[in-house]
Amino acid sequence: MAAAKQRIEQQPAWVLHTYPWRETSLIVEIFAREHGRVALVAKGARRPHSQLRGVLLAFQPLWMDWSGGGEVKTLVRAEWQGGQPLLIGRALICGYYLNELLVRLTAREDPHPRLFDAYAEAVRALGRGEAESPILRRFELALLQELGYEAGLANEGDSGEPVRPEGRYLYIIERGPVRLEALEEEGAALDPAALGEQPLLSGQTLLDMAAGDFSRAETLGQSKQLLRMLINHTLGGQPLQSRRVLKELQEL
Amino acid sequence: MSPSSLDELIEALRCLPGVGPKSAQRMAYHLLQRDQRGAARLGNALLHALEVLRHCARCNSFTEDEVCPRCANPRRDAALLCVVEMPADLAMIEQTQSYNGLYYVLMGRLSPLDGVGPRELRLDKLIARATEEGVREVILATNFTNEGEATAHTVASLLGARGVKVSRLSRGVPVGGELEHTDIGTIGQALIERRAV
Ligand SMILES: [Zn+2]
Repeated sequence: MAAAKQRIEQQPAWVLHTYPWRETSLIVEIFAREHGRVALVAKGARRPHSQLRGVLLAFQPLWMDWSGGGEVKTLVRAEWQGGQPLLIGRALICGYYLNELLVRLTAREDPHPRLFDAYAEAVRALGRGEAESPILRRFELALLQELGYEAGLANEGDSGEPVRPEGRYLYIIERGPVRLEALEEEGAALDPAALGEQPLLSGQTLLDMAAGDFSRAETLGQSKQLLRMLINHTLGGQPLQSRRVLKELQEL
Repeated sequence: MSPSSLDELIEALRCLPGVGPKSAQRMAYHLLQRDQRGAARLGNALLHALEVLRHCARCNSFTEDEVCPRCANPRRDAALLCVVEMPADLAMIEQTQSYNGLYYVLMGRLSPLDGVGPRELRLDKLIARATEEGVREVILATNFTNEGEATAHTVASLLGARGVKVSRLSRGVPVGGELEHTDIGTIGQALIERRAV
């Protein structure tokens, strides 16, 4: 069955990535509120005086119209919403990380309005020059929840009992937070090598994360390790380019 | 010519940016049928360029010598080093006649989502060049795109940490614009209004 040809109008959207297509066009990967990640061809966008050139910028909120029923649609119109300064410096590099997460972990044309709002808030916060770590952690968590890691942080994985603030936990994938004592009783090998990159988490960290509160330094540090482990797991071991770039920069 | 060498030519032409199977076929037939002299000239020029061209040891742009004539010119101001993405950007700045310093051509831009990082851009080579004695100021003239801005930020923080004075073209160039396609007056003004970062 041929996909119905449809025209979408005035969709709030962000450009995630663009790459050259044919002699004068661009393929634009966008993240749209009601349609998720969509690939569009922007015809003539690489011509020297194309109006689209200055509009199809990442990290700028846009209104977009497109049409077509295939895998790659045709961009009809892109309009700048405004109100968002260009990202500069470290915030810009962080922005690339957000975009790479969306490109790598969301499927084409899978709508994620909640994740869209979380992304918009993250980019706006980066634009306001807020501290980067809490912004990234909040977005990573929103992304994982959207992808199905709904399993509570505030409840123990096995018993479902509330996490105790003073308890010490490991987060076992597909099981959830498990108290260290419970693991020891099981006789689970607490050999650090077997646990790999498993971070030790305080109950308070888990409760803070569940509440979206990253104001404590310990929460920030431990959640970074936990979220990185979960994202690596979701990526299936494929490294993130933006993370490699950031690491190489720190080594220079 | 056997059909397989025709296929090979068509396939080879597809390495050009923006050239798909259809355009490659059209080019191949044109070269073979309509313009054999042009085809021979293109083939020879390509082989010759590949043979003699290399990256200038000083500015990283293409040259036939160890050091290109511009870098070797004693009348240019060696205290200024202007960093651009591509040779076309360098040519544009030269046309403004507002700049008499030297250049460093990155031959690209930082683009994390395309896997272009500091290693691919050989930023270590730029650091070595910019920290040479006699360089008083490094002017970042990368494009005003997100990638150009990320490149400028990265180079600025790497060089700043090494005590090099760094400035950035001021934003006279339209947002999202590229130097190659901007009018010369704007580029000249942007050079005059360059700012510290
Ligand atoms: Zn040179």
